Amino acid sequence: MSMDTSLIFHIAAFGLILIGSAGIVLSTHLVRIIFGIALLEAGANLLLLLATYREGSSAPIIVDGQIPAVMADPVPQALVLTAIVIGVGILALALSLALRVQRAYGTLDLREIRQRLEQDIADEAGIELPSSIDAPQAVVKRQEGRA
Amino acid sequence: MNKLALLVALPLITAFLLPLINRASAFAGRWTGPLVLAVTSALGISLWTQLGDNAVAVELGGFRPPLGITLYADQMAILFAVAVSLGTLLLWPNGGEDRVRQWTLALILAASGSGLALSGDLFNIYVFYELVAVVSYGLIAARASAGSYAATLRYLVVSSFGAAMALTGIALVYQATGTLNLAQLAQLAPTQLNNLQGLAAFILMLIGFGVKAELFPVNTWVPEVYATAPTRVSGLLAGVISKLALLIIVRLLVLVFHQPEALTVMLVLGIMGVITGELAAWRARDFKRMIAFSSIGQLGIMFIAFAIPGKAGIFAGLAVALHHLVVKPALFLLAERWNGSLSSLAGAGRTSPLAAALFILLALSLIGVPPLPGFWAKLLVLVELSEQAQPLYYLGAFVILAGAALEANYLFRVASRFYDRDKDPKAPAAQRIPDLATASLLCAVLAGSIFVLTPLALQIEGIATQAADATHYIQTVNPETLP
Repeated sequence: MSMDTSLIFHIAAFGLILIGSAGIVLSTHLVRIIFGIALLEAGANLLLLLATYREGSSAPIIVDGQIPAVMADPVPQALVLTAIVIGVGILALALSLALRVQRAYGTLDLREIRQRLEQDIADEAGIELPSSIDAPQAVVKRQEGRA
Repeated sequence: MNKLALLVALPLITAFLLPLINRASAFAGRWTGPLVLAVTSALGISLWTQLGDNAVAVELGGFRPPLGITLYADQMAILFAVAVSLGTLLLWPNGGEDRVRQWTLALILAASGSGLALSGDLFNIYVFYELVAVVSYGLIAARASAGSYAATLRYLVVSSFGAAMALTGIALVYQATGTLNLAQLAQLAPTQLNNLQGLAAFILMLIGFGVKAELFPVNTWVPEVYATAPTRVSGLLAGVISKLALLIIVRLLVLVFHQPEALTVMLVLGIMGVITGELAAWRARDFKRMIAFSSIGQLGIMFIAFAIPGKAGIFAGLAVALHHLVVKPALFLLAERWNGSLSSLAGAGRTSPLAAALFILLALSLIGVPPLPGFWAKLLVLVELSEQAQPLYYLGAFVILAGAALEANYLFRVASRFYDRDKDPKAPAAQRIPDLATASLLCAVLAGSIFVLTPLALQIEGIATQAADATHYIQTVNPETLP
């Protein structure tokens, strides 16, 4: 029983890390990428929580001199609490930045944002875009077709 | 030893009081930040002289190590804590409408950077690391242009990915050992972490902390951020903050992860960093991105150096790191007015002769021309690499030499353009006095170190010897655990 629960949670943790990483790497839509970060962080937090997970353990509080048979390790819980707070803060910051970028560039597609950004940097420096930054013709056509 | 906690606490408290102080008096608001940083720098230097070869550990709140958080200060930690304070002081953000916010963020950056250097607890390091990251997002976006928001956002994505990887690594370490105190980890590591799980944890943390240290696969943010951020912030990130991430990785290697594979991974990524960074810098056509890419290459050299096992690697790596710590902020200060394309710099040698001379000095040292310090640092790395007598280390030495040739090519190309006589287009604007003064100061430090090279080398070797001694660390934090 205990073995199974632990295994399921571990699979869930690594699954979340995998899904989150894949979301960050494979998506081009900013909101999806930010959700990917959230999932990745949830996975890492779950893994940290599982580090000293014990089945059927109770809170490490001594009541009336009675020491619980199996006590939970409070340290990872404190750590995860901190990590969650940091994660939420960064999520809020990321969303507000995404809002600013969307207002400036009118898009949430990371590839387009990157192109606009390269163009901005090149314009400011007074140089032409390097040829390697150009998207392959197929991509350009697809984008034009969509627009 | 409360001084140690003050290095972190003082700038942090001041940061949050600064808006109030500024409301009461604009004059006080302007000078409080630099004053506090000067005080923390002085505190750090006095600690340095007071401690000498000894290290000290402070238990925050009086809780013993397994549960409480320790601050650990040896020479290496204090050196970088002082470097953060002094660096933030020299590169103090200088204006704009929201300058009070920038000053607040700069103070938090100094506090969290010092915390990162001094912390002796893995999770505490993670928290400070995230704090440094969040603060730098704010500072990078300070120009409030569309480009800076986009660059910050792309940096945030990479950095958050890295932080989550580091957290996963920390979870793996905690699962294997049940502690996050670095001293305890150092005791448990030979039995508990000398396996595949330990190696996985190290690689995850290397990727995670490597984001700030411009490590090869996770450095896509570097050219964009350094091109769009205020130049002083770029100088601070490239010069100082990147070294803090390296410091953590070195600590982890000395104390916790002793697998030879860990060093190999770092060596390979460092070699890739030098190759990609120097080639990209060679191709770059604007000044800011040229020095941004060149900093990737330089940090690659540091990764290669720190991949040499034992004290020798830390000695060589520290030498390169300290050299870069002085050179790169000075280069970014010069980029304040030379932010355009390289061809627009024609004739700059006549409009601002001092700046051009400084650039040439910095370039020569960066390439490694004797007798400048950059030469000795690179020589040290090459000698130690060749003493390893292994193919991969020879490859590292070769790549560093090839990188130096590329550096010479692209830096001299710029320098020759300064004195272009054929065409006389509009020369770039003259440098601003504060930037030029700070850059001159850094160059004076660089040139002055030629005359004290031997004592300096002995000092750095002393720092490296102390930092490479894991037993010393354990005994300082937990005096009763070892005979």
